[in-house]
Amino acid sequence: MTILCILGIPVLFASFSFLAKDIKALGRFNALEHFTLLAVVFYLALTSELPLSLFNFFYIDALSVFFIFVISVVTFAASLFSIDYIGNDVSGGFISEKKARLYYALFNFFSFSMLLVPMVSNLGMVWVGIELTTLASTFLVGFYNNKTSIEAAWKYIIICSVGIIFALLGTIILYYAVSCTGAAKTLNWQEIVPLAKKLDANIVKIAFLFILVGYGTKAGIAPMHTWLPDAHSQAISPVSAMLSGVLLKTAIYAILRFGVITNTCVGVNFTSNLFILFGMISLVISCGFLLVQKRIKRFLAYSSIEHIGIIVTGLGFGGLGIYGALLHVFNHAVTKSFMFFGAARVVKKYKKDNFNVIKGVLSAMPFCGVMLTLGMFAISGMPPFSIFFSELFILISGFSQGRFLVCGLFLALLAITFGAIIYHLSRILFGKKPEDLKPGNEALSTKLAFLFLLIFMCVAGIKAPVFLNKIILAALEVLKVS
Amino acid sequence: MHNYIFLVSILLVTYYMVIVKRLPALIGGFRLQSLFLFLITVNFAFSEGETALYIIAGLIFALKVILIPNFLAGITKKIKVNDNLGLLLNPQLSILIVLLLTYLSYLFTFNVMPFTDRMQSATFALTLCVTMTGLFIMIFRLKAITQIVGLLVMENGLFLLAVTMCKGMPFLVEISIFLDVFISVIILGIFVYRINTLFTHIDVNKLSSLRG
Repeated sequence: MTILCILGIPVLFASFSFLAKDIKALGRFNALEHFTLLAVVFYLALTSELPLSLFNFFYIDALSVFFIFVISVVTFAASLFSIDYIGNDVSGGFISEKKARLYYALFNFFSFSMLLVPMVSNLGMVWVGIELTTLASTFLVGFYNNKTSIEAAWKYIIICSVGIIFALLGTIILYYAVSCTGAAKTLNWQEIVPLAKKLDANIVKIAFLFILVGYGTKAGIAPMHTWLPDAHSQAISPVSAMLSGVLLKTAIYAILRFGVITNTCVGVNFTSNLFILFGMISLVISCGFLLVQKRIKRFLAYSSIEHIGIIVTGLGFGGLGIYGALLHVFNHAVTKSFMFFGAARVVKKYKKDNFNVIKGVLSAMPFCGVMLTLGMFAISGMPPFSIFFSELFILISGFSQGRFLVCGLFLALLAITFGAIIYHLSRILFGKKPEDLKPGNEALSTKLAFLFLLIFMCVAGIKAPVFLNKIILAALEVLKVS
Repeated sequence: MHNYIFLVSILLVTYYMVIVKRLPALIGGFRLQSLFLFLITVNFAFSEGETALYIIAGLIFALKVILIPNFLAGITKKIKVNDNLGLLLNPQLSILIVLLLTYLSYLFTFNVMPFTDRMQSATFALTLCVTMTGLFIMIFRLKAITQIVGLLVMENGLFLLAVTMCKGMPFLVEISIFLDVFISVIILGIFVYRINTLFTHIDVNKLSSLRG
């Protein structure tokens, strides 16, 4: 019942949103809907006997619950932020009312497709879900219909589709391996895992390579990341937050599912070496691009690649590293959405996105400036914000395994990105604001969106909330190799 | 026996798609390739006696042989760009590279994939080659529509793999994949229109304002 509720609410709303008259009311209603969704997810996480399954089609275990929770938190924040953002776009004449209605319909379809991915048991359906996320978000990337956004949308859909075809190739090869055992012809994850030891090790290894490259494209792992900076910087801003905050993580989720099968079949070393390799490549590449970025949203997009690199490296370390990686999935989701909201406000106010020309955000936009300052320290990994702790867990795990070279490089790269983030953002935060810019305040819903995420950033930095800790530990049990 | 003829035909059609120079010919090649995919699926459905495979074959025929190629041909006519493919490599060099790709897929299959049956290895190598050729078309042909066709060729390769190696994916998955492919082609088509109206061309190599 809860399962159908979670999936049904966005679909119902998507069809309803075409009928609405008043855009702001529609936005408020959308936020209310996503709040309900969040409440249902809480209910699901707290009361249900896991794993939950329905029609032999849906299958929810602790790992799914964790990802569903992350998705619903970020979509709720994005829906709050959308109210004023879309309202202003309509009243400012940037988009028509019809287009705003389309935005809310697509927004809901997008959150539906992301929620679908962690809920289905069939690995083929996971593929379908991830392809659906691409299709639902393409129009949101190309929303403003100008040259740059259409270019970004084209690259996004083409590169992600090609990437994901390799993931399908991996899925078919795995299916072949499963059908070779003669036990069952199935792609249901919970039925494959007990069989995993009987699968042919070589075939599973090849399947995992294709899966990692395929879903890695969608997750923004370097060197398959090339669509990411374009799409994130050109998408309409609340959607940039969702793309960066949770879309990338659904692909990580798919990799994790296949990772469990591969680990059970061929041992942990194979996947963990691959994870560390790709994680470090992502860190190195993003670090270089972060230093030279000139545009704020593109800058944040490269920072997402960096954090995906951190998550993947954490997965490679194993043990405490996986705990850190999952915690980082959550922390990065809230912090990066927070930063995209801030960037969106700044870009709207200054009508520019270049670090060289934006000055004095703190004096021109007091609330948003303070939030961006806090976010700047949070995203660069300063205590007491939560990202510091998840990075710390990952590093502890790496050092305790004696991977000194990797950890040393990891630390050095983090130090460089810290410098890059502080340097670029402090250039726009401080200084004299342009004369003609009047200091303005934010709408209440926007403030709420910021504060909602800020609470998670701060609380998780002081002590991992009991609730979050519980579902992450339960998710670790799922990922444990028997 | 029929299957082997169809498989070889698919490979030949794939080579043909690499050397053609104009869009209608490329789309026609795709239609022909899908037709052979349809025949193989029907053949498998017949020998396995599975109704699910018949339905899938029907979908292949409706979507990939008729609807999608017609849709693409319609776009090509409507946007009135010149229908040269914009070859980054000339046909001679292209066919050499694709032959090399075929050899590499063969090497990969026989050295890495632990198949015992030689026929199975050959089929796997062939599907891998079709998939890689799709990627080749996407990279070395410059029109937006050719990228769509390349994507579809890659998908055809995977369908061929699923049918020949596993007798098709689970039914629901296969249907959903079809739906996904169809929606994505329509969305891509809409974007081709938009690119054409905004840029007055559909050369993807000129979409390069976002850098660094």
